[in-house]
Amino acid sequence: MEKTTLISLEKLNQLRLTDEQRDSVLAFFDAQSGRLAELNAIDTESVERMVHVMPIMTVVRDDVEKKLFTRDELQKGAPETLDGYWQVPRLVD
Amino acid sequence: MRYETVIGLEVHVELATESKIFCSCSAKFGGEQNDHVCPACCGMPGMLPIVNKHVVDLGMTAGMMLNCDINRTTTFDKKSYYYPDLPCSYQTTQLFSPVAVNGLVDIETSQGKRQIRIKQIHMEEDAGKLVHDDWSDTSLVDFNRTSVPLIEIVSQPDLHSAEEVIAYLERLRSLLRFARVSDCRMEQGSMRCDVNLSVRPEGSNVLGVRTEMKNMNSLSAIERAIEYETARHIDAIENGTEELVQETRRWDDLKGKSFSMRTKENAGDYRYFPDPNIMPVVIDDEWFDRIKATLPELPEVKKARYMTELGLGEYDAQQLCDSRALCDCFEQAYAVCGNAKEAANYLISDCMNMLNKAGLTADQLSINGESLGKLIKLVTEGTVSRPNAKKILAALFEQDIDPETYAKDNGFIVSNDTDLLKTVVKAVVASDPKTVADYKAGKEKVLMALFGRCMKELKGNCDPQTLREVLIEEVMNS
Ligand SMILES: [Zn+2]
Repeated sequence: MEKTTLISLEKLNQLRLTDEQRDSVLAFFDAQSGRLAELNAIDTESVERMVHVMPIMTVVRDDVEKKLFTRDELQKGAPETLDGYWQVPRLVD
Repeated sequence: MRYETVIGLEVHVELATESKIFCSCSAKFGGEQNDHVCPACCGMPGMLPIVNKHVVDLGMTAGMMLNCDINRTTTFDKKSYYYPDLPCSYQTTQLFSPVAVNGLVDIETSQGKRQIRIKQIHMEEDAGKLVHDDWSDTSLVDFNRTSVPLIEIVSQPDLHSAEEVIAYLERLRSLLRFARVSDCRMEQGSMRCDVNLSVRPEGSNVLGVRTEMKNMNSLSAIERAIEYETARHIDAIENGTEELVQETRRWDDLKGKSFSMRTKENAGDYRYFPDPNIMPVVIDDEWFDRIKATLPELPEVKKARYMTELGLGEYDAQQLCDSRALCDCFEQAYAVCGNAKEAANYLISDCMNMLNKAGLTADQLSINGESLGKLIKLVTEGTVSRPNAKKILAALFEQDIDPETYAKDNGFIVSNDTDLLKTVVKAVVASDPKTVADYKAGKEKVLMALFGRCMKELKGNCDPQTLREVLIEEVMNS
């Protein structure tokens, strides 16, 4: 992986790595990409796409409204709230 | 040179469900901030989503109404983006196997009839709401709308003018409301539209540079935005006024202009991947057939049937077919009273008036059609007078009552008691010799005053024709 790709991934994930951390992440990805190349070499043309690893399908529930939590309960662990809102640093759009 | 505008639409529609798409929280519009929330829709660690079956019902219904193929195995995917209105840092949506694909929608404009191809319909969750607080210089987050179920209807770039776009959106709204998929109220945000637009020389098969305007929520704004963007693109191509770039633009309806927005992540950056927490939904034949059986007759088919089979005029048929609730009530009432014209009249004039006064739309009509049919029967058989029928209808509007019991309890049954009628008429005539003299002198109109007084004495419970005859006889003999 190119360093520039890693930097753009950092931005997307709101992370900032040191140069030392970047080197170790890049080394890890290089090792993985060898394995990915091996997998990509396998002919999967006639294999049906796997949708899920579990043999369970259609886990659905009925459309019934239930109030299970109060706002106060949910906001107990919130760093900041105001008038029942979660409060976060200002966003400029 | 002549140009062609090429438009594709992404229409978001909020589904008419009680609960959210992956948890049991209320999906209702409104409520106090963060009142409809739980750990699942707040993205707390360890939460697991469970699909609301009715969301799949409505996704399939929409697909069938728009002539799509239904994917019998439909799966959910994660679309990553980082923004506080989305607590999981991803939106759960469908990319690889959406519920419906390859549809067709008929539209009609001044240029004639056309079909617009639908690429796909996918189910997904809505995002929350952010309020910017100037006082504390922070942003405030409300998760009530987070995980409210949506479908996104993606058209092919088959539309070429604002007129076609409006016709397409109106057709979608009519079909989806008729099938009770959504109330499609643009002003409340339950139907919103992203417009993708490009311009190319007529006859060219290469697409021009495409711009996107997001979250448009009124037809008139969409019309103005399309006209503005088309002119801006042509100006850029012909006169080089600016370099067109692929971007998202914001439409400012007050200024009548579109503005460039900060470029967002492009599709590759969303890092879509299958959601391992949600099992694939398999739609078996039983489920498929059950939904197919609930599809309503199309509005235009109903309208034609009302005109040819039931003898309604075009105006009445059209008024009824604007709303599924009116149609249902009409059909139930007709089944009971067998009088289509009367049933249509009561619904289109009296019921619509009451709805308007109550600030409700036709789709919110809750009158029991069977009771309305019974009331019409009482009127046409002469058991209840028309003015009293209006009073009974007003009561029926408030709550479901049996019209005949209500009429009896409130003294609204027309009396066949001719003795009572004669007594009342005699008394009224005797009390007003001047009016009687005027009538005899040829002022025929004054009879109405006497007629009105008799009617009032009788509380409206008499046959107007009989009263008129008895009254004239009494006046002439007095
Ligand atoms: Zn919830």
